[in-house]
Amino acid sequence: MSFLTPLAFLFALSLPAVVVFYLLKRKRVVKLVPSTLLWQKFLAETQASAPFQKLRHNWLLLLQLLLLLLLVLALARPYFAGKAGEGALQVVILDASASMQATDETPSRFDKARAEALKLVDGLKTGFGNDSQQMLVMVAGANAEVKQSATSEKAALRRAFESAKVTDSPTRLAEALRVAETLTRDRAGAEIHLFSDGAGVDLSEFESKDLKLSFHRVGSRGNNAAVTTLDVKPNPEDPTRRAIFTSVANYGLTPVDATLELRFDDQLVETKAITVGPTNTTPVVFVAGQPQDGVFTVKLNHADDLAADNEARVVSRLPLPVRVLLVTKGNRFLEKALAAAGPNVELATATDFTDADAKFDLVALDDITPTVWPGGNVLAIHVAHTNWFEGGIGSLDGPAIVDWRNTHPLLRFVTFDNVQIAQSLAVKTPTWAVALVDSPQAPLVLAGELGRQRIVWIGFDTLQSTWPLRISYPIFLANVVDWLNPASAAAAQFSIRAGDAFRMPLGDYLAPGAGALTAKITPPGGPERTIPLDATARELVFGDTGKQGVYRVTLGTNQLAFAANLLDPVESNLKPRDELSLGRRGEVTATALKRANLEYWRWFALAGLAVMMAEWWWFHRRTA
Amino acid sequence: MPVGVGEPPHTNSVPTLSALLTPELLRRLEQVQLLAARRAKSSLKGERRSKARGLSVEFADHRNYVLGDDLRYLDWNLFGRLDRLFLKLYEEERELPVRIFLDASESMNFGELTKFDFARQVAAAVGYVALCGFDRVTVDVFPRADSRPAATTDNSTIRLPQSAFEGALRSVRGKKSAMQFFQNLTGLTAGGTADFNGALKRGAMEARQAGVAVVLSDFLDSAGYEAGLTALVGRGFQINCVQILAPEELDPTTFGDLRLVDAESGFEEEVTFGKYRLKAYQQTVANYVQRLREYCAGRGVRFFSVSSATDLGELLLKQLRASEVWA
Repeated sequence: MSFLTPLAFLFALSLPAVVVFYLLKRKRVVKLVPSTLLWQKFLAETQASAPFQKLRHNWLLLLQLLLLLLLVLALARPYFAGKAGEGALQVVILDASASMQATDETPSRFDKARAEALKLVDGLKTGFGNDSQQMLVMVAGANAEVKQSATSEKAALRRAFESAKVTDSPTRLAEALRVAETLTRDRAGAEIHLFSDGAGVDLSEFESKDLKLSFHRVGSRGNNAAVTTLDVKPNPEDPTRRAIFTSVANYGLTPVDATLELRFDDQLVETKAITVGPTNTTPVVFVAGQPQDGVFTVKLNHADDLAADNEARVVSRLPLPVRVLLVTKGNRFLEKALAAAGPNVELATATDFTDADAKFDLVALDDITPTVWPGGNVLAIHVAHTNWFEGGIGSLDGPAIVDWRNTHPLLRFVTFDNVQIAQSLAVKTPTWAVALVDSPQAPLVLAGELGRQRIVWIGFDTLQSTWPLRISYPIFLANVVDWLNPASAAAAQFSIRAGDAFRMPLGDYLAPGAGALTAKITPPGGPERTIPLDATARELVFGDTGKQGVYRVTLGTNQLAFAANLLDPVESNLKPRDELSLGRRGEVTATALKRANLEYWRWFALAGLAVMMAEWWWFHRRTA
Repeated sequence: MPVGVGEPPHTNSVPTLSALLTPELLRRLEQVQLLAARRAKSSLKGERRSKARGLSVEFADHRNYVLGDDLRYLDWNLFGRLDRLFLKLYEEERELPVRIFLDASESMNFGELTKFDFARQVAAAVGYVALCGFDRVTVDVFPRADSRPAATTDNSTIRLPQSAFEGALRSVRGKKSAMQFFQNLTGLTAGGTADFNGALKRGAMEARQAGVAVVLSDFLDSAGYEAGLTALVGRGFQINCVQILAPEELDPTTFGDLRLVDAESGFEEEVTFGKYRLKAYQQTVANYVQRLREYCAGRGVRFFSVSSATDLGELLLKQLRASEVWA
């Protein structure tokens, strides 16, 4: 125990004063009695029955001394210095991710962590000279935010903590730690205190030596069920309806019986009863009609520790016709496959591509070098475009297919078994693309994004191969149409993870020469925000998406919506971790939550009050 | 008020002759008689049976005639039958010496009706009963007047010295002396420091014959009471002890931080006393009385403990009679 104001011990000089008061003779009432014999016997008897009689005579004195001692101790402001709070600079990182909303601690993990952090503030040594300690407050939600720069001022630090809010975003501590590391590097006695539950913390990228990091863990259990995925697709069996794919994960150790609600624009569409076993994940598919663009909301009705992940939304837009231009000398296989690639495909064929401004969602170049290269998304078959590839373009006879990347969305349900190729172009895999199909010498199929243009490149003439005869051919082309369709790419923009920035190209909305435009964004339950856009802006970026829900965007006359969701299985797994791995080798073990530098003067003052009352009672009892 | 009876130094009302014992009580006391457990040993004639042979109407025994015996006591009828000379012996009736030890120390001056007044009333009653029974009564007042510090004399009244009353209370006999006996008792005052043991020892030695002893005191002597009682018991007295305590001793009513001053010794005791300790104090008193009672019981001494506020008739006619002090 140490004292913040040891000078207060000067008040202890009043202790002898009390004793002096007691040394002064007590004024007693003089009374003549027949004999003091009985009184002597009385005193002797009561003394004999209570060994502390002598002390009891002085109990008032003792009580008063005790009272005074307690008050002096309280004035001296004692505190217990924990190991945690000794650094001259303390960087406190408060995890504000979604899992910190869990209510297994009361009122929540975040509030508990904040209270613990405030104890650190209480224990901060303030004063002048070398003893003074400084603290810096960071809140790590979707991104790290320095709430309060290094200061010794406790009021400011408390304000910083009080103003911190928990978000719905996944845990991203690496950024905060990196900032903290730079702040504490080369500073003697700097410490980093991380208040987190350790759930969803991934610091494997974070390599640091000599990081003085104390991990203060909050959280006690992981009873949670969550909606972990949500996607909406056209229903393959009935193009007029939509299929909503979702999955519910149970991270608790007991089975979860719950109902799952599907709403479309706040209208209840369907309810399903589901049972999810312990640590299991159950996929659920809803099929629903969709009269207009809107938001599908899936809600899990189950009381668990974390409510934030029991709901997810997805923005679903009505499918638009996909305008496909096939530039070919004639390829019935390709023509048929493209026409059947989707319910809304509008296929046109041409022998050359000449108009760069032609409105097509995607252009398929089949063994033709066009007059004008299309600016939109392209499926290029046996086309040698020298701007796409570095180095020369060679030729390859009878390449064997040795590998294909079936995790890529383009190769969903696609296999290249029993496909032979007569001849192929030989290129090096460029940086903008990934090889989907490989031969030992060169990639055969490439896919990637060059600028804002999505390109699927097939190095061989499909007519010079057995591929069109295989079932995988039309499936691949359906995937290609889906992947190259700008609308489906845009649909992905309208579902983001909470905390991620919302980015939207303005090309379709910004008429040339229209001048400055403002975007108005209404966050869920929040006030409208106005974002000015200048005339040269090509993209709308909105970063304050810490809260999950549907964000309404008004852009000129256009009404849009995008949804921010947690949808993070790692974050939803609430089980608190005792250890955090730092990089490949480092490891931080949770320190017991030390009440670092906790001041105790309140307790002493309280005890003093109790003693004073006891003294009062005692005084009245003996003179009653 | 009789000549010479002055105001005692304390403020309590002086019991006059009539107030000492009411006529009703006196009338009833005339009917009781001291019970002596043993034969009287006095050498003086009285009305008590004794072991001594002498002249009375009670036949005791025969014995052989020896030369020189008074021929008047020869049993002529026996001589006629047996032709031998026998002498008839009769029981001699002797007096019973009654010795009343009256504590007149300063400590007896407490109580609404002071302990000393109460003790005097008991002494008067016992003395009256004895006088009515033709027994010799001696009131042994202690401390003696000569051992007391000289009392400040009040010039407005003429008073006989204490010693004069004390002297007059020695060896009183006969019912006709009762009035004078009462007056002398009334003239006594309490004061000074008592030596309980010393007084009892001296009384035991002074007494020519053992008889009935009545000890009237509060038995609150720092030196104890054992030695005195033992001396009396050893001398063969039949002892009756009456402990008289003031109500305020039994049930104190002053609380707070007190400095208690002993009225006799001047010794000071600092006590912080509250109602919460009343029970403990009463227990202490009860323990003291109980020890005294047990001590007396172990030596064949009758013991009574009364408050000076007790009704006198209750003590005299019920308690003492029930304990067969008199009948």
